[in-house]
Amino acid sequence: MLEYAWIIPVFPLLSFVLLILLRQTVTDKSSYIGIGLSGVSLILSGVVLLAQMSQGNLIKSVSWLSIGNIELTVGYLVNPLNAMMLVLVSLVSFLVHIYSMGYMKEDSRLNVFYAYLGLFTFAMLALVLSPNLLQIYMFWELVGLGSFLLIGFYFYKKEARQAAKKAFIMTRIGDIGLLIGIILLFWQTGSLELTSIFAAVEAGAMEEGMITLIAILIFVGAIGKSGQFPLHSWLPDAMEGPTPVSALIHAATMVAAGVYLVATLFPLYEASETAMLVVATIGAFTAIFAATIALVQKDLKRVLAYSTVSQLGYMMLALGSAGYVAGVFHLMTHAFFKALLFLAAGSVIHAVHTQNIEKMGGLWKKMKWTGPLFLIGALAISGFPLLSGFFSKEEILLAAWGEGHYVLFVLALIAAFLTAFYMFRLFFMVFTSPAKTNNVVKESPKSMTFPMIVLGALAVVAGYLNTPWFGTFLGDWLTAGNGFVEAHHAEGPIWIMLVTILLSLGGIYLAYVIYHKKSLERDFLSSTFPIAYTVMYNRYFVDEFYQMTVGYGARALGYLGVFLEKYIVNVIASLCSEIVQGIGKQGSKLQNGQVQTYGAVVFVGLVIILAVAVMQGGVFQ
Amino acid sequence: MSWLSLLVFSPLIGILLLTITPKHNANMAKLVGVIGAVIPFLLSLIVFQTFHAGNELSEKLTWMTLGQDAFQFTINYELGVNGFSLILLLLTTLISLLSMVIARTQVKTSWRSYYILCLLLELGILGVFAAENLILFFIFFELTLLPMFLLIGKWGGLEREKAAYSYLIYNGLGSAALLIVFVALIAKTGTSNMTELMTIVPQLDDGFRMGAFIGLLLAFGVKLPIIPLHTWMVRVHVYAPTALVMIHAGVLLKIGAYGLIRFGLGFFPAEFENMAPLIAILGIVNLLYGAFIALVQQELRRILAYSSVSHMGIVLIGIAAVNEAGVQGAIFQTVSHGLIAALFFLLVGVLIERTGTTELKKLGGLAKVMPVTAGVLLTAALASLGLPGMSGFVSEFMAFLGLFETLPILAAIGTLGLILTAVYMLRAVLNITFGEGPTYPENLRPLSGTEGWPVFILLGMIVLIGVYPTVLTDMLSTTLETILIGMGG
Repeated sequence: MLEYAWIIPVFPLLSFVLLILLRQTVTDKSSYIGIGLSGVSLILSGVVLLAQMSQGNLIKSVSWLSIGNIELTVGYLVNPLNAMMLVLVSLVSFLVHIYSMGYMKEDSRLNVFYAYLGLFTFAMLALVLSPNLLQIYMFWELVGLGSFLLIGFYFYKKEARQAAKKAFIMTRIGDIGLLIGIILLFWQTGSLELTSIFAAVEAGAMEEGMITLIAILIFVGAIGKSGQFPLHSWLPDAMEGPTPVSALIHAATMVAAGVYLVATLFPLYEASETAMLVVATIGAFTAIFAATIALVQKDLKRVLAYSTVSQLGYMMLALGSAGYVAGVFHLMTHAFFKALLFLAAGSVIHAVHTQNIEKMGGLWKKMKWTGPLFLIGALAISGFPLLSGFFSKEEILLAAWGEGHYVLFVLALIAAFLTAFYMFRLFFMVFTSPAKTNNVVKESPKSMTFPMIVLGALAVVAGYLNTPWFGTFLGDWLTAGNGFVEAHHAEGPIWIMLVTILLSLGGIYLAYVIYHKKSLERDFLSSTFPIAYTVMYNRYFVDEFYQMTVGYGARALGYLGVFLEKYIVNVIASLCSEIVQGIGKQGSKLQNGQVQTYGAVVFVGLVIILAVAVMQGGVFQ
Repeated sequence: MSWLSLLVFSPLIGILLLTITPKHNANMAKLVGVIGAVIPFLLSLIVFQTFHAGNELSEKLTWMTLGQDAFQFTINYELGVNGFSLILLLLTTLISLLSMVIARTQVKTSWRSYYILCLLLELGILGVFAAENLILFFIFFELTLLPMFLLIGKWGGLEREKAAYSYLIYNGLGSAALLIVFVALIAKTGTSNMTELMTIVPQLDDGFRMGAFIGLLLAFGVKLPIIPLHTWMVRVHVYAPTALVMIHAGVLLKIGAYGLIRFGLGFFPAEFENMAPLIAILGIVNLLYGAFIALVQQELRRILAYSSVSHMGIVLIGIAAVNEAGVQGAIFQTVSHGLIAALFFLLVGVLIERTGTTELKKLGGLAKVMPVTAGVLLTAALASLGLPGMSGFVSEFMAFLGLFETLPILAAIGTLGLILTAVYMLRAVLNITFGEGPTYPENLRPLSGTEGWPVFILLGMIVLIGVYPTVLTDMLSTTLETILIGMGG
């Protein structure tokens, strides 16, 4: 079966092509086409996963582009990480396809929506199958395209247009770093195949400085894609897209591609301590930075978006702290509980028609499924004991502690507390506070609750794949199937686990006190630290800063160019043409039809010729 | 007569037929014009087939003999193709055909003379790419000037006359430089055959070579165009009829790239290697300068004009790498930009016809009223900004791959252009297709059949090259070896 792994991405591509070509003729049936084809991908991904476990890795490639003696290839690679990603992506994609049937039912461009979903799923599946960096880069850009199209799905809204453009451009800035990194790597190792690159790194064929430079450049790509500081600000804006999209692309899969990239290239990063430290530091900083912003936002989806940024920071911290398994593990559990949270948020928005949490309330009793499922997601992400997030976050903290990154460790701890707090701020405000309106609220249809139930179940149990108590199945499998990654069994003092539990419960309790029992004033914190509140509420003015510097700077250069064009280039150009014309005019003056002038010219000419001849002493001798 | 001669002179059939069509029968003129463009297209396919079968295509006849005895000088009629020129021949016949199909609806008067001039222009371009000696090359090169001048001047937009004159003056100066170089080369070596010159020229003395090289750079720099020789080209983009700009941006500008690679790299490899940093800098200036200006323009055709300037920078960057990856990237960029620019100007024509404007401020929300057109426009923009899966990515990747080997710092600066391209392209296209629109006229026709299939042929080619670049590399491999044989390494 492994030989046919390449066929997995073909089905969503087919869905895209079919839906685009058939256009209006399939409007209401497009969801069935999309669901059916993504379902096939899911089944095959499952089969490939099982086949990988029994048969081991497989790599195949064919020539794609030859440049002289250089042969660039395309192909596919199945190893534990890739197989896990395949299942993860096709599963979440499949669930989102089903969910959208209910959520997008009334949209007249349903076929376009499913077509874009298909395009994205195709690119993402192909990305995780890629055996070389060029192919990774190509599909890396294509997932960006899918994301761009879906963010801009409501194209008539100005915000959607801006958000789509911003997402594309900010991730492209990162991508250029990635591209340079890839090209440099090529000239260093003579190949873009992952296996040859790792072999070259192991053999010590590159200087450490070069490795550091390349690793950091590639990490810039990951920063862009995974919304890490300082290229994070597109991700919250991306919430302009339909909510199912936010769950699939901007929570579970695409934004995790940066983490996947670093994980895939882990041997390269391990070869450079500096690069590892950069990854860990950016990760930890982003984790706490985004968490503080999430504390004060009022838009349901934006809180979740900043939470995603923060959690991705955790994954980077894990990878940067040599916690390969921890990072990948958290990637997986996060995909489940964050997709769940987004789908539940979508269900809420679908019911109340607003995203402002100030206007929500009292939904616990009205939404029998959504409420408890959101609670499960919130508990999981907060690191509540025995749920999936608890185990994966624990692994990360242990990795950071084990590497001796104590400052980063403390940042991560604080971020864990903040996470629990802002998640339960959301939960209490949306579900248990008194209702603000008398509108009738109905639970969402089955097509929407079913995917949430599946994700809810996974958010509870996925953690048991890798626990210190029952066994580290996931970790053993991941490291055993990847010859270049050593098994790091992160072990640490037991107090770390206790502290984490305490912080998680503390965060929940604080939110409970403020937003449910109301024994503390709601603006207790914001009125005590007004400046901090303003800064956080305005997202540290990062966007404004970019606008002032990069935005205006680029335009200023543009106007400078226009100025040069107008007053330098054009002036010189018209000068040239005037000179030509001038010569022409002088010449035409000679031809005025007066025989006397011609005679004079002939005479003068003759005299000159004679004079020259005489002085040369030539003709007459 | 071989297939190649037939191909080059085949537009004459259409011209002859057009001269005998009745003057006032517009439909007949359009039909004959399109048929006149189909003939060269079919012949170019035959030529392609013959080339692939490995049969000889080149031909050589003695044309005229000048002078006497020791000063006797023979001018030959020599045609030939290599992989690169063959690709350009195919591109020329294809884009000319599509342009003439589109011209049926987008040109509004005097179709008969329009088509005659267009076919004459095509003849000139085909001749340029098929010529095997300098004199023939120059004659065909000049032959492209006049029809283009008349076409712009008569069928163009607002400032058509100014555009036509600045086209003529710039290209005239370029031709003058080219003529001087060619005459000097012929006088010095006694031959005008390009293949012979490739081996002889590198043995000439340094000073002469440098002078000739700079002359060539100037001559083809006007055509490419290299900044600051580009103002004529912006005017032509903006004021020439859009169907003509398809040919202009699609193939006519490619003569610059072709000349630089064929003559520049072919005759003066040593100079090229010495001056590579300078050429790379010129390329980066083109890339960034064009992009920055495109960023603040308010009119789509201007944006596309500066985008052409910017994209031709990539050709220079690729050539400056002086290695296989770079030169192959430059060649790919030549083809890719030809296709993308043709597609863009086709759509601009559609846009002008439907809405009467290309001002960004007066457009918006096109995706609502013309979803297919808007979708294609966005696709063209994505191709132009180098999205993988489309031709632009392959060429940019190779050009930069090449330059990073030889001049990494300059290459790194150049990559800034890739970000800027995304910025200005998305700004322009999203302004037109997304957002709230003005109130458009009620009867905005969707993309019709005759517009539809040229669009999808161009899109198909762009995607084909992007997904399966081997279609081009197969043809290019031997050509590249010949061109790069003079290089040190």
